[in-house]
Amino acid sequence: MTSEAPPVTGLALQVRDLHVSYGPKRAVDGVSLDINEGEIFGLLGPNGAGKTSTLSAIEGLLKPTSGSILIRQVDVRANPRKAKALIGVQLQSTSFQSELKISEIVKLYAGLYGVPLTKPAIFDSLAEIHLGDEASRRFSQLSGGQQKRLSLLIATIHDPPLVLLDEPTSGLDPQARRQLWDRIERIRKSGRSILLTTHSMEEAQSVCDRVAIMNRGKILTVDTPAGLIEKHKKDPNVLAVARGQVTLEDVFIGLTGRELRD
Amino acid sequence: MTDDVVPLQGRSVAAPTWSSSLKVLLRADTTAQLRTSLSLVLTFALPLILLVATGLGKNSAVLGGPAFRISLALTVGLVSIGTVGYSLAIARDRDTGVFQRLRVTPAPSWTIMVSRWIVQLGAVLVMAIVVLVVAAVFVGITLRPQNYLFTVLIALLGSAVFLSIGQAIVGLIASADTLNAAGRLLYVPLIGLSLFGDSDRLGTTVELVSRWSPGGCLETLLSAAMGATAWSGQSWGALFASTGYTLLFAVIGIRWFQWGAR
Repeated sequence: MTSEAPPVTGLALQVRDLHVSYGPKRAVDGVSLDINEGEIFGLLGPNGAGKTSTLSAIEGLLKPTSGSILIRQVDVRANPRKAKALIGVQLQSTSFQSELKISEIVKLYAGLYGVPLTKPAIFDSLAEIHLGDEASRRFSQLSGGQQKRLSLLIATIHDPPLVLLDEPTSGLDPQARRQLWDRIERIRKSGRSILLTTHSMEEAQSVCDRVAIMNRGKILTVDTPAGLIEKHKKDPNVLAVARGQVTLEDVFIGLTGRELRD
Repeated sequence: MTDDVVPLQGRSVAAPTWSSSLKVLLRADTTAQLRTSLSLVLTFALPLILLVATGLGKNSAVLGGPAFRISLALTVGLVSIGTVGYSLAIARDRDTGVFQRLRVTPAPSWTIMVSRWIVQLGAVLVMAIVVLVVAAVFVGITLRPQNYLFTVLIALLGSAVFLSIGQAIVGLIASADTLNAAGRLLYVPLIGLSLFGDSDRLGTTVELVSRWSPGGCLETLLSAAMGATAWSGQSWGALFASTGYTLLFAVIGIRWFQWGAR
């Protein structure tokens, strides 16, 4: 699935020495990462590792304590509106105005990105994600998989060069998850870059070109999924948790520890 | 339509102007407002029921004259819209993540809230006109033309007072459930105080507090606006006090407002 990645031509996202704090607690502690054009980049980490805080800072929802974020060379802090026009976002738990119909939600968000969509164009977009018959329903009346598909449609309605997906497949059944992976791959094939967070090693291996493992606000390691296994397969902490051949999950647990996180 | 254009490999991604964002938000918020049955009941049914009910049997003589009936109906409508309907809708959308989803678009954050305020002011405008029309056509209470205009303007000022109180409540209280309870608790004294501004039946202290409460000030202003009493020093005092309440509660509501659930 990841073998058809388009050639790298430049940076879609550049994060340097990012720090985010909630009072005395450091949620993100010096994160730096680059995402290439046409790349799917995964952020892996246990709960509370700082994945969502990193994404929130890039999305402009959180003000970083320090550090720089450039989206296509546009500084997120200096030009937040220009930067927001360059990204499409699927939040971890998304909700839309409960009184609006699905078609009205699509029209609202298209309008907020300055994309004029006619009624037939809205219905075509919905039909493309198999929600053509649901256009008059409310968001809360959709199944989990349908909600995720709609969220992804809205995240990409303005054809952004960078798409940020926070745990896009959490809570989905295997069929819905595979469908969403296909959609993510199609988004990449159209030339966009994707930064996603996930708890699923299977997802990271199936979808991502490169993966970073985060723990306690820091990035511990970055490489391709296969490269991470190769790089850490002899690490004593990884070997201690491996059950046979070293997997990406062994690397993840070996590097981030066995203790439960809340 | 757009102000910031970033060319990207043959396509352009632009941040729409704030005015086009506001227009799109207004359309969606108006649709949502019209579909909310609670808001429709609070906006129209309650004031109209009061207007008619206070004229039945002996109630009319006990409670006051025609101007009092109209001002009571308007006050109840304004308190209901501002402290119950508006604050609950904001708290609910905050809890479900609606605001955070809107804030990752290029629309300036202030347009999201201003759109809500404009829709509420529009609802108040329509409510005031409906109450005055029903009062004239079905209840036989008529005013001079200039008094109609003055009354509608004072109703808009009153709505600013109670919307700012609603904003302060939603700024200070994080949970929608707690806010619901607090809104109901505040509802009774806000309306109750407005009833005793012209009466010393409960003592002069209650009369004084009542007269200078937000509801009492509104009663004073509405009474003068409808021509039931002359515009006096007390009217000016009520006007300044209402403006002060609006500024005070708006500052509190904006200062402590959180876009996301805490």
